[in-house]
Amino acid sequence: MLRSPAFLIERWQLTHVSTLIQTLIVGLRLGSIYALVALGYTMVYGIIRLINFAHGDFIMVGGYTMIFTMPLALALGLPVWVSVIFAILACALVGMSTELIAYRPIRKKGTSMTALITAIAVSMILENLAQAIPPIGPNPIVTSQIFSTGGFSVAGVTMEWTTVLTIVISAIVMIVLYEFTQKTRMGRAMRCVSEDKEASILMGIDVNNTILLTFGIGSGLSAIAALMYLGQYPKVYTTMGVMLGLKAFVAAVLGGIGIIPGAMVGGLIIGLVESFTTTYVSSSMADTFVFLILIIVLIIKPAGLLGKNVGEKV
Amino acid sequence: MNKKKLTSLVLAACMAASLTACGTSSTKTSTSPAASAAAGASGKTITIGTISPNTGSLAAYGSAVTTAVDLAVSEINAAGGINGSQVKVVNADDQFDPTECLNAFNSLVSQGIGLIVGSVTSGCTSAITDAANEEKVCLLTPSATADSITTKDDFVFRACYADSFQGAIAAAYAKQKGFTDVGVVYCAADTYSKGLYDSFSAACTKYGVNVKAVQSTASLDVQDYTNQFTAMQKAGLKFVYAPYYYDVIGPYVVPQARAAGYKGIIMGADGYDGTPKYVAKGADLSVFNDVYWTNHYDPADTSTKVQSFVKAYEAKYNSTPNAISALAYDAVYMYKQAIEKAKSTEPQAVRDALADTTAVYTGVTGTFSLDSTGTPAKGASIISFTSDGTSVTTKLVDVVKELPKA
Repeated sequence: MLRSPAFLIERWQLTHVSTLIQTLIVGLRLGSIYALVALGYTMVYGIIRLINFAHGDFIMVGGYTMIFTMPLALALGLPVWVSVIFAILACALVGMSTELIAYRPIRKKGTSMTALITAIAVSMILENLAQAIPPIGPNPIVTSQIFSTGGFSVAGVTMEWTTVLTIVISAIVMIVLYEFTQKTRMGRAMRCVSEDKEASILMGIDVNNTILLTFGIGSGLSAIAALMYLGQYPKVYTTMGVMLGLKAFVAAVLGGIGIIPGAMVGGLIIGLVESFTTTYVSSSMADTFVFLILIIVLIIKPAGLLGKNVGEKV
Repeated sequence: MNKKKLTSLVLAACMAASLTACGTSSTKTSTSPAASAAAGASGKTITIGTISPNTGSLAAYGSAVTTAVDLAVSEINAAGGINGSQVKVVNADDQFDPTECLNAFNSLVSQGIGLIVGSVTSGCTSAITDAANEEKVCLLTPSATADSITTKDDFVFRACYADSFQGAIAAAYAKQKGFTDVGVVYCAADTYSKGLYDSFSAACTKYGVNVKAVQSTASLDVQDYTNQFTAMQKAGLKFVYAPYYYDVIGPYVVPQARAAGYKGIIMGADGYDGTPKYVAKGADLSVFNDVYWTNHYDPADTSTKVQSFVKAYEAKYNSTPNAISALAYDAVYMYKQAIEKAKSTEPQAVRDALADTTAVYTGVTGTFSLDSTGTPAKGASIISFTSDGTSVTTKLVDVVKELPKA
């Protein structure tokens, strides 16, 4: 017996629309985190053409700083997320020290490849150093609940406020960063350094300080990413930044590395691909598809989705 | 130029990933295995090697093993040792990484150690079972439950039951509670999780329980399980078997399953041991109600054997021993009994003593004999989490001595 199309559509809606929305929400949740992390990658790359592989580990630094400063925030009668202020300071400090101790001397002596390898080395130093610090140690630590749960419901599926907040914060950070690089003196200096270092020096720009500031901002962003990540996935461990950083890097490349809105677009796409693969293709193939998408996009558009194909000035 | 650069970036990224995978390595040099692995017991002391994940995501298991082995050895030494010889322990870290586990094994063997307790996880232990048979070194794993760990009468033994038993108990429990349809969420890339899924679904077929939906994750590093449990909820299931370890069950799996609208039973295995220490403080912990798991022993057991172990452990380390500790403790005493019987510490002689299926071991985790593969035949405890919303505690539900008939 054939059923009327209206009935079938209604039935399809009942069983599938909520699954679709749930998948979309999980994708946005993951994607918003990737976007926040990708902003840090893209920012540093945009200025000094260095892929800072240690960026993922700055998130770990931010996570542990928050864990250790949460009791302090509580003791002062403040909400736990206030500890992110300490995390921003700690991350910016670690980021700027990395630039001063590792990247700057290497840039003077070596090529962009040596700088890249140094970034990988810094990443591993941070992971192993963290493990050697007794209060951190090798055990993962589960954090306290950072944001109160709750949200609004669409078709019987709950969208958590934390997810909405992460997306809003990513968007705000993106806009502020973009405006900062376009409108302010420091931002203009950053763009100048990015285009031509020697000419910047002739123009009276302190190149070293500009790069240092870029690292400070980029690393500080990773603390905000850590806050939003822990708000949804409350576990900190020393290698937490590895896969997160890699996927965010992929997101930055996908959107067009060095382009600030590209990081946001790329992050959300990666998150959605991961989530939709889990639901509709195979739950164990999510990562396969993420990296497959990267390869396909790079073949079609080598400069990334928002990138322009221009010859690089060497 | 641009294309080339991006390609090299991607390559570099892949390299970074593969490098960081071994980034946490403590350099354990793996020299060529010594020819005479039997030298371990030369002189007045007997050396037992232990392999455990002292660092990495399952580091809690590492300390569980090292503390319990130290307790057992100090008890044995205080009581005069084994056959008059004092016992010494050499520990090696496998970082919950199969490659590092093999390095740890080789390093112990090259030190002339022929009696090894380890490793803890099925994934790591499966990397060294072949090597143990080749080197003719006794390998007694306290807690690697995967069936594939030992299937023959060889040098590999264990102190725990196998997954075919553990998974079947969960299936029998589902049937006993009247569930006709069940679901599974598991990790396709992990020996332990996959092994439990296989044995659970095989037992479900035997008991006439229908495995209606199966979802998997690609690795144990996945942090989002929402889509998997949405699928379970959409399939109308009220019982889901989710064999994972405590470090994802506490912060991720259970809270996300409940947030996805899944309200039914979540059942797991011995990997859930330790979860109450891995939950987010301040979150609504009532989500942990209706979570059940199978375990090797219950620390609240009133038998004198269990209580004297729990009291001694608590006195020494100021915390309640988990099942891994109990099994590691039993493993040391199994070696003691085998060495006394063999009147030798030669790996071959100890192996023959352990391979005797008539020997009865009275341990913390039960009184048992080993079968022809070297796996104990013993019962399991079914334990549940209960929560008042602010903390999670465990409760003994049932003790299963043997599997019900189909």
